[in-house]
Amino acid sequence: MHAAISAEEDPADVNRVLAGDVQAFEGIVRRWQGPLVNMAWRYCRDRGRAEEMAQEAFLRAWRGLAGWRRESSFSTWLFALAANVFRSELQRFPTVNVSLEEAAEPAGPATQHEGLARKQSDETVRRAVLALPTRYREPVVLYYFHEMDVAAAARTMGLPEGTVKARLARGRDLLRKRFPHLNEQSTPPLSSTPRPKKEVLQ
Amino acid sequence: MKPNVNLETDRDANDVIDRILEAEGELIPSSGFLAATMERVRDEAAIPKPIPFPWLRALPGIVLAVAVLGWCGFELARVVLANARENSFAQVHLTAATGRALEPAEWVVLALAASMLSWFFARRLAGRSGLL
Repeated sequence: MHAAISAEEDPADVNRVLAGDVQAFEGIVRRWQGPLVNMAWRYCRDRGRAEEMAQEAFLRAWRGLAGWRRESSFSTWLFALAANVFRSELQRFPTVNVSLEEAAEPAGPATQHEGLARKQSDETVRRAVLALPTRYREPVVLYYFHEMDVAAAARTMGLPEGTVKARLARGRDLLRKRFPHLNEQSTPPLSSTPRPKKEVLQ
Repeated sequence: MKPNVNLETDRDANDVIDRILEAEGELIPSSGFLAATMERVRDEAAIPKPIPFPWLRALPGIVLAVAVLGWCGFELARVVLANARENSFAQVHLTAATGRALEPAEWVVLALAASMLSWFFARRLAGRSGLL
């Protein structure tokens, strides 16, 4: 989706910017503001901060535009740069201080207002991603941001696909153990007896 | 270790995790985002580029400083070696005399070395910050 935004316009705009046309950068911001803000949002789940981080990423892109070697697509370069910015921003000022164990337990299947309850439950799971250990959090964030494309997530992180796959599996495993009720949502409660919380967390 | 793992259930749970994490609503950037970003970019572009260090103009000074430092080092080594070869009476006499003469030179050497070090670290820091 993201890569399809523009394959031709980006290099043209980059050339114009490098030739001294500052205004040409607006095209780049216009095209990529959505993906970058959404990516930042997945890193921090705070709209204001997501926009600040995305803005910082654009500024770094502006400064380092000459560093795009055109071996990879512009989007790959931009996402990798943005991931670095977001990572270091969150290292400086972490978003959540709670551990995965302390993440709120979503409500069980609701009978009334089921849609709302499901929404809240889903949001809790999404927020729990931020409580994952750093090495597992980023692969999970980027895998789903890139619409479940391991290769794209690996390119953005600058890691081998195998490493990303392994970390992703571990991250999902931690989430699954943290929220045993997810098993119940998808299957009838036959063999999936939820383990006691403490046992699951260890 | 994963005791009693039910593969079917685990796969289903993964599917649920996929569904939840993939179905994230699209966040629309606020209306002022583009303008604010471009304003920052323009501000950045308006800052004049840092003036490159005038290596060519500084070259004579650098050469002179290196020559002075080298000469000081050479003289210091020469005097120390000469003193070491002299007898104890002459050594005491000469050491006092040369010590007085070399005292300012030592400080000059120290100050030059400190200046070089601070210049070197300043350049490194400025380079890391993207100022150079």
